[in-house]
Amino acid sequence: MKMFELDQQIAEQLTQVSLGSSIQVRMSATNSFAVTASTMIPLMQMFEMGGVYISASRGAVEIIQAFESIGVDVSGIQFLDLVSSGVLGGTDVPYSNITFVDSPIMLESILLRTLYTLRTVSSARNFVFLDSVNALAIYNDDRMLAEYLHTFINTFRQREVLSVMLNVPDQTPPLVLANLDTYCTDLIDRGQVVLL
Amino acid sequence: MTGIHGLDEILRGGIPYGSTVLAAGTCGSGKTTLGMEFLVRGALAGEACAHFTATEPSVKLLENIRQYAFFDMNMVDSGLINVFDMDVLYSWLGLEKASFDLDDVHALIKSIVDIVNTIGVTRLVIDSVTTLCYKIKSEQLIRDFLFTLGKKLATLGCTTILISEITSATENAHWSSFGVEEAIADGIIVMGDSERMGHLLRFLQVVKMRGTSHSRAKHAIELTPLGVMLIPMLKWGASADKTSRWGQ
Repeated sequence: MKMFELDQQIAEQLTQVSLGSSIQVRMSATNSFAVTASTMIPLMQMFEMGGVYISASRGAVEIIQAFESIGVDVSGIQFLDLVSSGVLGGTDVPYSNITFVDSPIMLESILLRTLYTLRTVSSARNFVFLDSVNALAIYNDDRMLAEYLHTFINTFRQREVLSVMLNVPDQTPPLVLANLDTYCTDLIDRGQVVLL
Repeated sequence: MTGIHGLDEILRGGIPYGSTVLAAGTCGSGKTTLGMEFLVRGALAGEACAHFTATEPSVKLLENIRQYAFFDMNMVDSGLINVFDMDVLYSWLGLEKASFDLDDVHALIKSIVDIVNTIGVTRLVIDSVTTLCYKIKSEQLIRDFLFTLGKKLATLGCTTILISEITSATENAHWSSFGVEEAIADGIIVMGDSERMGHLLRFLQVVKMRGTSHSRAKHAIELTPLGVMLIPMLKWGASADKTSRWGQ
């Protein structure tokens, strides 16, 4: 098992948020898993939350195995994998907590599948992790993605589900970034913005 | 209230009691599932429901619908949901023929109304009215058939969903295959696919629903084991999507 040191400042910051909060988590290309784990582990272990993890950056199996490698059991979290359907044979996986969506461009389907999954989970308090905004930006038009995030944030806020949007800011279009800044209630900043 | 998650919200309350609603859609758009969920939600509220299937045998219909967690076969076994094969009905009525005349149409209406009346059906689905109307050669006769059927069912307090099949070939006919179905309907729900970068996204849109101040926006739908789920389609997405199959 790999050694993993939790970012305590993130855990501390998470004590300030409520179920209706929307958190933008800024990370860099090199620290993405450390920041993701430091955000998700306290929510699962300290606050006993469950929920949905939407993986657009990597296949869900890779993410699950990364958590397993540091000794964290994520079998109670439901994964929505937007990547593996695009890879031949990618959906033949040994985990029952993964659902596949055909493509990261099916934004409405992603939201509907997430809402459906939330209706099936047993945990009383839930989060939705979106990993990541910059990965969705590869496939989707800026205006559409900005509109989607606005809908996404408000949908879960209304349902008292904590939304966490992971983001590498220097890989995210300005319009989308501006929207996140405007509509998210909290910011966890572990990213590096490259000014051109 | 239809009891269908999201649809009642779009309709601002549901389908008015006794209405005849045309659910028009392309193949695979979710018409049959929507129709069956409409019956299941009614059955869960203790209503007597009936489904007339003309497109596939009832055994196959039930086999397909069993995959959905919202459906419980006990509803059929206990008589809350009654499924009728149109082919069997034709056989009973001696209507095993290629086309129907006026007398045949009246006999068919009478038998459907008798069944509804006898069982006390308050929710009815005919799947599909297109297949049924293929046997009626005159446009006027189709109009009379649907108008009379709708009127009689409304008198009995039965809310009806007429499922209509539309294809890209029927774009000029708008929301029905024969161009007359929409004229007699109190409501029209259109279902189809929008193509976005090679992927098909199911949508539902309420075009008309008398007696309601319904939303007319296009909604994305997902057929989940818990039933149909809907959210408004992204506005920028809709502008980027290719023209949907039912024609705009």
